[in-house]
Amino acid sequence: MAVASPLKIGEPVLRWSARAHSIAAIEHELARIWSATDLTTEVEGEPGRYVAARSSVMNLVVIARRPELAEHCAATIQALTGRHPSRTMIVGAADPDGPSWLDARVEAHCILPREGSPETCAEMIHVTAGGESGRHVAAIVTPLLIHDLPVTIWWPDEPPLQLPATREMLAAADRLVVDGSSWSGTGLERLRELATLVETGRLAVTDFALVRQSRWREAIASIFDDPEFLPYLRSLRRIAVTYATHDETGTFGFTNLVKPVYHVAWLASRLGLHVQKPLAPIVGPAKSSAGRAVRSTGAVQTAGRGLGATLSDGRAEVAVLVRPVLSPMPAGTTLRVELLAERRGSELRADVTAEAETVHVRVWQDGVEALERHFRAPRRTEVDLLAAAIEAGGHDTVGMDALRSAAALAGPGDVRG
Amino acid sequence: MKDLRLARQGKRPSRAKPAENVLREGLRLERVPDPSIVVLFGATGDLAHRKVLPAIYQLWRTNLLPHEFVLLAIGRRPYDDESFRADVRKALEDHSRVLPLDEAAWTSFAERIVYHHLDFHDADGFENLAARLATIDTERGTRGNFLFYLAIQPSQFAGIIAGLGRVGLDHEHHDGGWRRVVIEKPFGHDLESAKRLNREVGRVFREAQVYRIDHYLGKETVRNLMVFRFGNGIFEPLWNRRYVDHVQITVAESIGIESRGAFYEQTGASRDVLQNHLLQLVSLIAMEPPARFEANALRDEKVKVLRAISAVPVDPRHGDVVRGQYGAGWVAATKVPGYREEEEVDPESETETFVAAKLTIDDWRWSGVPFYVRTGKRLPKRATEIAIQYREVPHRLFKDEGVEPDANLLAIRIQPDEGIMLRFGAKVPGLGLDVRSVTMDFGYGSAFNVDSPDAYETLILDALQGDASLFTRADEVEEAWGIVDPIVESWAAAPAPDFPNYDAGTWGPAASDELLARDGRRWRRF
Repeated sequence: MAVASPLKIGEPVLRWSARAHSIAAIEHELARIWSATDLTTEVEGEPGRYVAARSSVMNLVVIARRPELAEHCAATIQALTGRHPSRTMIVGAADPDGPSWLDARVEAHCILPREGSPETCAEMIHVTAGGESGRHVAAIVTPLLIHDLPVTIWWPDEPPLQLPATREMLAAADRLVVDGSSWSGTGLERLRELATLVETGRLAVTDFALVRQSRWREAIASIFDDPEFLPYLRSLRRIAVTYATHDETGTFGFTNLVKPVYHVAWLASRLGLHVQKPLAPIVGPAKSSAGRAVRSTGAVQTAGRGLGATLSDGRAEVAVLVRPVLSPMPAGTTLRVELLAERRGSELRADVTAEAETVHVRVWQDGVEALERHFRAPRRTEVDLLAAAIEAGGHDTVGMDALRSAAALAGPGDVRG
Repeated sequence: MKDLRLARQGKRPSRAKPAENVLREGLRLERVPDPSIVVLFGATGDLAHRKVLPAIYQLWRTNLLPHEFVLLAIGRRPYDDESFRADVRKALEDHSRVLPLDEAAWTSFAERIVYHHLDFHDADGFENLAARLATIDTERGTRGNFLFYLAIQPSQFAGIIAGLGRVGLDHEHHDGGWRRVVIEKPFGHDLESAKRLNREVGRVFREAQVYRIDHYLGKETVRNLMVFRFGNGIFEPLWNRRYVDHVQITVAESIGIESRGAFYEQTGASRDVLQNHLLQLVSLIAMEPPARFEANALRDEKVKVLRAISAVPVDPRHGDVVRGQYGAGWVAATKVPGYREEEEVDPESETETFVAAKLTIDDWRWSGVPFYVRTGKRLPKRATEIAIQYREVPHRLFKDEGVEPDANLLAIRIQPDEGIMLRFGAKVPGLGLDVRSVTMDFGYGSAFNVDSPDAYETLILDALQGDASLFTRADEVEEAWGIVDPIVESWAAAPAPDFPNYDAGTWGPAASDELLARDGRRWRRF
């Protein structure tokens, strides 16, 4: 039924809401929305306003098993109604051992982009499936997809990639959006599964954990925009990434490592470095650099020695160090990226750190400070990240290469060794 | 020498590309602009207030400018830093496309605005400017990178450029300090003056340092033209004389000359729009695909189109160009005066406010396909559109069935309501076989509901990044003047007997319609 809501420019409003209990009933409600030219409202001062244009540029499917997560995702997507109008399905499951049932809320959200322009609307379908129905998500989603429009699946939880039902669902998708930094444990095993999945299909993947780091990548790349520093890029000898942990024991498996590993993976994939030795715990006496306090982020103490790996370009090796420090920052957050390059007896050292609004780059050439720059680059919100994932279009080769490289760094087994 | 040595050894020289920063791939910008100072001449003027300052602020607000950034505003008025910042704030409140202002962004932006008083005729003025720049550069860490933006009267271009050269502000440094100059249109008022100005600019700056702005090229839809043509597989095979009947380009304005009577008297529609905006659109539509998406490759192809345009016959009766001047009339339910009654306009002015022309491009792709272009003031509405009119089907299968559909048409709307429309025939539902024209319409506003950047934002960012793709090269400017010059010269020699020859609020003089009618065609209705 039509819902009366006043329209403000640029703010999406709910204009239609109905319930349905079968796929056929959902389809019927969707058809009713767009055939209802009398979708009028009783908005004061705007009698007879009706939905002027349906607009969809994609199908967006959210698999959110928990109701609170579904609501959170719905709020994020609504912020994109105008920017990327989509047919959105938010699918959850409940009562897995009970009888099969389906409950759906079919909504139309509309936006007035600017004064005088037609109102554009997009559908959002909240589906909860109980019993065995809930285990066959593809059977719910596939009939409701708009033909010929790309299908993006946002899986904010941890996707059980090994399950046949998940594979079946992903077979209908063009893009999978995940957040590797929210996965349990180190997250590296899931990363390996994801890399295997993309190798065997045409699925594109966007990982918020990688997209979030774009401000770091901008800053690191900017160092080598300088023609004087560019030759060092192919002569990296060491990459060190420091990340925050809350675990004083330094035991691996408690802190998600996806973000710090992505830093190394991105550099390795862009520079054509292959993994000679995957990440493994460092044993032996501590080196002084590993114990450096990261004062700007409040970290004061190391927690364990970290992981080491070796990369190679076929001629020379690049040492990798991924090390934890105790920090009040969220666990797994990157605190510092350090690069060391050596070329013809000359040394270039770069140190990149970030705060809420800025990224700070310092470079030393043969021990002499040669560059210091601040970049204004605020952390990105979830709305920004989802927009970036959607706008990525086809295959993001840089992201895919980084994912493959991260999986190779994670190695074939558990990094706890 | 190295190549010679290799040749003697029977080896071919290496064709390895120069090293690239491979880390840049996939990042939002090709590169973050270097730390830099934008030196804005004419900072207190109308163009700066309406366009340039809001664009720079918007770039700052969206984190697209470097942390080490300074706007050095140059003017003749007696401001200090604080009073000029207040002036900028007011300009932003009046003209920024995103309001209200972001207070945090404004505060940090304002800290980077510095005002410098300069009388262009003062002998020591440029020495003082150089000294001020050196001080700011050291204090603010802008690494010797200066972008000189000339938002001033064209008559002052040469003097300022010579002044900059006199004190060495054009010299780039091996340690990375670059120097660039952005020059607003109009670039010259005829071929001779454009050549002279190019020579004067060339005495000081290398061509690679010069960024001539035609803001039309920064518009989102114009930039999309290249994506539309060369990023899609289905259109380019149909983009030639075999399928295209003709092309129409309209740049229509409903406004008059506003308060620019004196300026417009010296320019007219041919110099103001035909020489730059219209010919740029023609070259973008007609050019061959460039080998690379890179400034010179792109401009090479555009300039080839301009060179291929035949001289336009100017005979008043049978020529391929029409001029017009508006008389009094009604536009948007408002009575408006005729051109000759406008302020600062000669009551017997011969200046044209409308021009329409048929251009022929003598090359393999477009031979025999006319490009009809028109622009005018006080037309019924503001609209800029490129229409590709396709040929009729070779055999009319449905000619006995009611209304014959129009030939296919592809219309690219530049402004307002940016979008692309394709017209084709479809069967009317029912038992008969009636065919009617229907349209598929893509609107930027509904597909991408995000604000497009203003053309000036795009162009200023490109200039800071050293990307000249959307700027006009010296030879392009001269070729365009080479097309327009004979037209304006012939008009100057033979005053129009019938001015004013169209009423404000109409689509131009009758001769404009006749220009197409004699080819069996008509202008598209808007």
